[in-house]
Amino acid sequence: MTATPAALAKDTAARGPVARRLSARPELGAMVGAVAVLVFFALAADGFLRPAGLGTVLYAASTIGIMAVPVALLMIGGEFDLSAGVMVTSSALVSSMFSYQMTANTWAGVAVSLLVTLAIGFFNGWTLTRTRLPSFIITLGTFLMLTGLNLGLTKLIGGTVSTRAIGDMEGFASARAVFASDITVGGFQLRITIVWWLALVAAATWILLRTRAGNWIFATGGNADAARAVGVPVDRVRVGLYMGVALAAWISGQHLLFSYDVVQSGEGVGNELIYIAAAVIGGCLLTGGHGSAAGAAVGALIFGMTSKGIVYAQWDPNWFKFFLGAMLLLATLLNAWIRKRAEASS
Amino acid sequence: MNGTSTAAAGSPTALVELAGVGKRYGNATALEGVSLAVRPGEVVCVLGDNGAGKSTLIKIISGLHRHDGGAFRIDGEEVRLASPREALDRGIATVYQDLAVVPLMPVWRNFFLGSEPVTGRGPLRRLDTAAMRRTTREALLRMGIDLRDVDQPIGTLSGGERQSVAIARAVHFGARVIVLDEPTAALGVKQARVVLRYVAAARDQGLGVVLVTHNPHHAHLVGDRFVLLRRGSMAGSHAREEIALDELTRQMAGGSDLDRLGHELARTRPSGPDRGAP
Amino acid sequence: MATAGGVRRGVRTGARTGIRAGIRTRATASAAVLALALAGCSSTGGKRAEEERERAGGRAAVDTPRWTFAMVTHSGDGDTYWDIVRSGAEQAAVKDNVEFVYSHDKEAGRQAQLVQTAIDRKVDGLIVTLAKPEAMDAVVREAVRAGIPVVTINSGQEESAGLGALAHIGQDESVAGEAVGGELNERGHDKALCVVHEQGNVGHEERCDGVREAFDGEVENLYVDGTNMPSVESSVEAELQSDRDVDTVVTLGAPFAATAVRAVERAGSDAEVNTFDLNAQVAAGLRDGTIGFAVDQQPYLQGYEAVDLLWLHRYNGNMLGGGRPVLTGPQLVTGEDAADLEKYTERGTR
Repeated sequence: MTATPAALAKDTAARGPVARRLSARPELGAMVGAVAVLVFFALAADGFLRPAGLGTVLYAASTIGIMAVPVALLMIGGEFDLSAGVMVTSSALVSSMFSYQMTANTWAGVAVSLLVTLAIGFFNGWTLTRTRLPSFIITLGTFLMLTGLNLGLTKLIGGTVSTRAIGDMEGFASARAVFASDITVGGFQLRITIVWWLALVAAATWILLRTRAGNWIFATGGNADAARAVGVPVDRVRVGLYMGVALAAWISGQHLLFSYDVVQSGEGVGNELIYIAAAVIGGCLLTGGHGSAAGAAVGALIFGMTSKGIVYAQWDPNWFKFFLGAMLLLATLLNAWIRKRAEASS
Repeated sequence: MNGTSTAAAGSPTALVELAGVGKRYGNATALEGVSLAVRPGEVVCVLGDNGAGKSTLIKIISGLHRHDGGAFRIDGEEVRLASPREALDRGIATVYQDLAVVPLMPVWRNFFLGSEPVTGRGPLRRLDTAAMRRTTREALLRMGIDLRDVDQPIGTLSGGERQSVAIARAVHFGARVIVLDEPTAALGVKQARVVLRYVAAARDQGLGVVLVTHNPHHAHLVGDRFVLLRRGSMAGSHAREEIALDELTRQMAGGSDLDRLGHELARTRPSGPDRGAP
Repeated sequence: MATAGGVRRGVRTGARTGIRAGIRTRATASAAVLALALAGCSSTGGKRAEEERERAGGRAAVDTPRWTFAMVTHSGDGDTYWDIVRSGAEQAAVKDNVEFVYSHDKEAGRQAQLVQTAIDRKVDGLIVTLAKPEAMDAVVREAVRAGIPVVTINSGQEESAGLGALAHIGQDESVAGEAVGGELNERGHDKALCVVHEQGNVGHEERCDGVREAFDGEVENLYVDGTNMPSVESSVEAELQSDRDVDTVVTLGAPFAATAVRAVERAGSDAEVNTFDLNAQVAAGLRDGTIGFAVDQQPYLQGYEAVDLLWLHRYNGNMLGGGRPVLTGPQLVTGEDAADLEKYTERGTR
């Protein structure tokens, strides 16, 4: 009855059959899908498999993936964030406008932006835990409010609907190096967003599978009442998850700003659904409690490959959305099927 | 099944003691003047119909709600619990009927939920997964549960097994008192038997058990003392020796109220019902 | 951050020193918040006042009654182009002592509703865009029946007169496209990529078709998602990688020109970027040569002239165009015009 775990002996005997454990991985369906898409476009599209082409595809995937990963965590925790898309724009606008209006070092804008964006995330989470309203409603509200604030404040402060160029300001070059530069890996030119993306996937996977917080995230999404009953700080987990989305929105926002120097205040609307779709393709359950960060990353990769693959293949882009929709449905069905099989064989 | 428990009763300080405890929600009185005491190795059964105040009682003992009348003592010390966490820290673990587990999570993650052991330090602080898996298996084995794979989602276990895992978890984490909320309600006869066996196993390990149920048959199998609730107040408290199963069933089913109903109905029907509402 | 700051010493050195000293030591959270609070109370107020003086310069120059003119456009949220149109209209409204009411919705059905509300308010003049003429048909006719003078701007020059509008002020998209095509010929290009940032926009198609019409080389359309800049960039980049023959990229909106420039650089292509419309970044691009030329349709003029024309009509019964469209473009601008343009784009009137 005491026996607190102290020893670190390996206990391989306790593990189940490898095949079943593998098939229970949430990202498996997405991986199968990703390989299929890759093979498909490798055959159909010239230039898709060339290093430069893959670099472009990975860049497209990373800009979605940076957001899809924390959105996936949030969904595992049982909630949505519809404000994630415009929050990216808000973050970029705050950073740019602070630096410009205060004539401050751009890093000051970056820091202020981090605080403001985290505050938005905190607001989402706090309102959710206080009101107990569905997150769909709360973040829909934040989404609309942010859209309005982005447009209204940008116009009010700057006089136009896009921000002023801050490329000639101090700290811009170093900030660009961090958020929007290229790195060369073994002869390949890769965007730094890919590094951010992979780092986020690694961090999120570590948190989910190897920390107490991860256990709590699964439990919060899987059965919040049970989690609360055994002492899991469910509300803090939720607030933390929303702030995680905000953190990623900050990274994406700074990338947007330091890539293009100028931010259009109307951007970002609609991207939130792409993040959610990537997470779902990656095996996240809409109802929470199940999913993985790696899966969301693979989901983003499928998005990246499809959207750019159609360009490489020089197809009529009118069909792009149809392809994505079909892909989403197929991936979800595949996931459901795999999970059923996994559960049946146990 | 008896013997050891009756010897324990009566002597040491109660692990948990309620004396005239009450709880109001606004103007509505949910609970009033309820007293009970749980000692090590003793099973106290709380019986009552729906709405009798059983769940309010559980919420008070488990720290979800605070009582606002009477005294609540743990080890003789008067307390007002602020949270389930505080109750856990004081050795009171509650196993809810349907909230016990997170179905999609593996058994071992469920087992340690909320009390996960960690290893390493700084940014490398991480779950001690190997120890968690091993300990889960061992703790379950000690309770007589043999799972071939602790990695399977706990939702794939049967209802009885899930309850048993939850009980084993409480025992493992040093609970001295386990509060069981209708552990057998949704189970078939066979599954219920399994769960009751684990209740007895916990008792035999020296734990105090509060078994909340509306099934007098199950209660009488393991209980040392029976507290009856009716409409938020105590309708009786009997030691096992003082009351037979028939009488317990009758009281549980409504007692004298039911007798009166029986007389009323006797005009149209020859005999009164012998079973209360479920 | 200190080294980078040293290398890239900006233009605005004087005003910055005070804040920079604080930031330099450590951009701590608290300092940043404090600075934000300062920004909230001091900087914005003064700046805004200054801006308003600059934009809606002057005061009413006439003593006609205070008429109310409404403008309803198909602009989406936060569109730089329409922001300039609106600035022009507001400038004219100040001078003509006109109450100017602006509203917009990119969805045709809701735009029609907005026109309806203007009719219900019995405005003295109405300015509308006919991006989707069929949807606007009924309400515009109703406005005309209600005796409200209607001027159409920007899009719908074919339908304008038929609906009973007094005049149309705008740019013929096909003509603008042809101007671009002609200039591309001048510059000796062989294959152009026309970047469409709003799929299904008729005006956009007309622009690309115009280019195709006048251009001797080949024109290919690329459709991108205009609300997602990184996606625009990677799509253009992907296209340039897969089609090495493209030697010029034509964007249909100013914000996308700078993005196309980046994509061209990354793809290692030597294609020239040219664009429809102007903004500050395009002006800067023209100056430093990363953008070849821009075709401006002078949105400021569309707003300004529409309001002014309605005023003239009310006051003096005048009308321009003689039943034919009044064209505000295409005006071809290149690096030579950049210096002047930058001043205007900065303040949001070009």
